[in-house]
Amino acid sequence: MSGAAGRVAGRRQWPLPRDADPDAPLLEVEHLTTHFRLPNATVHAVDDVSFRLNDGEALGIAGESGCGKTTTALSLVRILPSNARIVSGTVKLFGIDLVQKSPAALRRYRWREIAIVFQGAMNALNPVRRIRDQIAEPLEERLQVPRRDARKRADELLELVGIPRGRGSAYPHELSGGMRQRSMIAMALACDPAVIVGDEPTTALDVMVQAQILELFERLRHELGLSLILITHDLSVIAETCDRVLVMYAGKVAEEGAVSTVFRNPRHPYTGKLLGAFPNIRADRRTLDVIPGSPPDLREPPKACPFAPRCPMARDLCREVMPPEVTLPDGVRVACHLWPAGSDGVTPAWTTPSKPQLEIGADAGVAAGADAGAPARDVA
Amino acid sequence: MIAPPLPIAEEVPFQAARPGAGAAHVFRQLLRRPNGLVGLAILAVFTVLAIAPELFVGPLETAVTATGPRLGPPSAEFPFGTDEVGRSVLNLTVHATRISMVIGLLATIITVGVGAVLGILSGYVGGRFDSTMMRIADFFLVMPTFVLAIILTAIIRDVLGTGSKEILGMRLSLLVIVVVIGLTSWSSTARIIRSQVLSLRERAFVDRARVVGASAGYIMRRHLLPNVMNLIVANAVLTFAGAVLTETTLSFVGLGDPFQPSWGQLLDAARSVGAPGLGKWWYFVPAGTAVVLVVFAFTLLGNALDEILNPRRRGRS
Repeated sequence: MSGAAGRVAGRRQWPLPRDADPDAPLLEVEHLTTHFRLPNATVHAVDDVSFRLNDGEALGIAGESGCGKTTTALSLVRILPSNARIVSGTVKLFGIDLVQKSPAALRRYRWREIAIVFQGAMNALNPVRRIRDQIAEPLEERLQVPRRDARKRADELLELVGIPRGRGSAYPHELSGGMRQRSMIAMALACDPAVIVGDEPTTALDVMVQAQILELFERLRHELGLSLILITHDLSVIAETCDRVLVMYAGKVAEEGAVSTVFRNPRHPYTGKLLGAFPNIRADRRTLDVIPGSPPDLREPPKACPFAPRCPMARDLCREVMPPEVTLPDGVRVACHLWPAGSDGVTPAWTTPSKPQLEIGADAGVAAGADAGAPARDVA
Repeated sequence: MIAPPLPIAEEVPFQAARPGAGAAHVFRQLLRRPNGLVGLAILAVFTVLAIAPELFVGPLETAVTATGPRLGPPSAEFPFGTDEVGRSVLNLTVHATRISMVIGLLATIITVGVGAVLGILSGYVGGRFDSTMMRIADFFLVMPTFVLAIILTAIIRDVLGTGSKEILGMRLSLLVIVVVIGLTSWSSTARIIRSQVLSLRERAFVDRARVVGASAGYIMRRHLLPNVMNLIVANAVLTFAGAVLTETTLSFVGLGDPFQPSWGQLLDAARSVGAPGLGKWWYFVPAGTAVVLVVFAFTLLGNALDEILNPRRRGRS
């Protein structure tokens, strides 16, 4: 969608970055790869992830714990732990590649262009400072707004997120969990950023408060034309709030597409399992469809489909070859051998696994044998 | 005997330091506790004596203006007796309050100021700065502080000269005592604050502030300082008691200023005329009692403040 830059510039006082391309999409991430270096290993936390966020859109990133959701989001403005490194890929905001920016230059974009609603508001707020002062902080420190004006603006922001003005002088412990999360949202809104990233913004809240917070996000999107990336393991949150969903598994994109399409007709078996693992309040009491096994060790990411060992549909192909990302006719992007390139998106390539899963071990043995054979041949 | 270390373990696990602990609120809490109330009352009396000694005992007596007998026992005219030149011991003790208290106050400001600034910097900046600062702090911690104070006093006096020069309205020799006390006692404050900052800086709100764009100075000033304020206050109070004691001790061994009476000076004078041996107890008991009372009051107050401000002890008493 062109004109993202112009629309963002139109709704806020602060100027856009100078080299913004008016015709570029809002946010375009391509082949993003982020590694964590450990003393004797490298964790491939995010591996070749691409996605796009259009202006005014809400994108949900879903997946199990440890599948790279948060790392993906934090890589956008590089707020990563010191042992993390973006190995390759681009993050283009208004067409400006943030990965190429020096740490000093990148500071211009943090919070001003991409702000974050952190997980666990209680910890992200200083317990001995009034929330008004904390919300004013990005304005004071980032935009050099005089303290008085910044506090006045903080009060307006509080009102915007549904906290009465007078509560600005409260300390975090005097607020309810929902109010704390609201003030974190107010803080994220302070600089009128182009993108807001919600990192599990509703995780620690009870269902009623969760609904209120989601409603707030929804309202802000409509009132302010906010663009949102919502990271959560709770698919119902995405179903309720987002336009598109990106399902991640083992640091890779498993499936991406419009929420309605993906949730109604999950193509990737992982998406299907994830939806199945979700309790349905109206259904009879039953055991949840738990996905057996656990995600692969990302210190040594598998060369083949990372989900194959847990996949009920896996065939030999899945255990040997990495599935490419394929875009189906209805716009869903999926990385699974069930949906080869040129597929109609309706009929999967097969409907039952070729062999029972017991034989995975046998396959591994064959693979290992082949590996072991190679050097032996060299010696000969 | 300088700045007894706080009865707070290093690495106090962080609980939301009770916010909104405004000065008025803390004061009310203090009055509600027996130790806080008694400490405040004793200090109030000494503060009044320090501010206006003339109101109670008239101007400071000197050998020239003295009217009493030599080493006279307590009487109606001289409730605490007289010294070897006939001055009223009551007069001297009351006038000595100011010097002792002022030295205590200044030394505390220096100690806690230096300790807090270096503690926060060290803890937050870390790296080589931290290791350098902490090695220096260790040096002052392991040195027997009193020996160090005696040596430093002698050296500083030698460098600056002992004349009757005045700096900031204080006679130089008094300032020397203040500086020496500050130099020898900042390290424990710095260590305690650093250890708390080390745990604070790993907390999410510090990360968040950094991401939001706050500078290191802003984070230290506006995020870390308010969080260690309870440690600073409780530490300051205990340091005050230690400083009064150190001043007394330094004066007692002859490193004070003979022209301005402090409690230590009085005790030294009493010793030099042999008052204890002669059974002239009234010469040294008032000054000694005053020292003990002030230190006692500050210790009570320090404990009370610690109970109020330290999240770990709160609610247990």
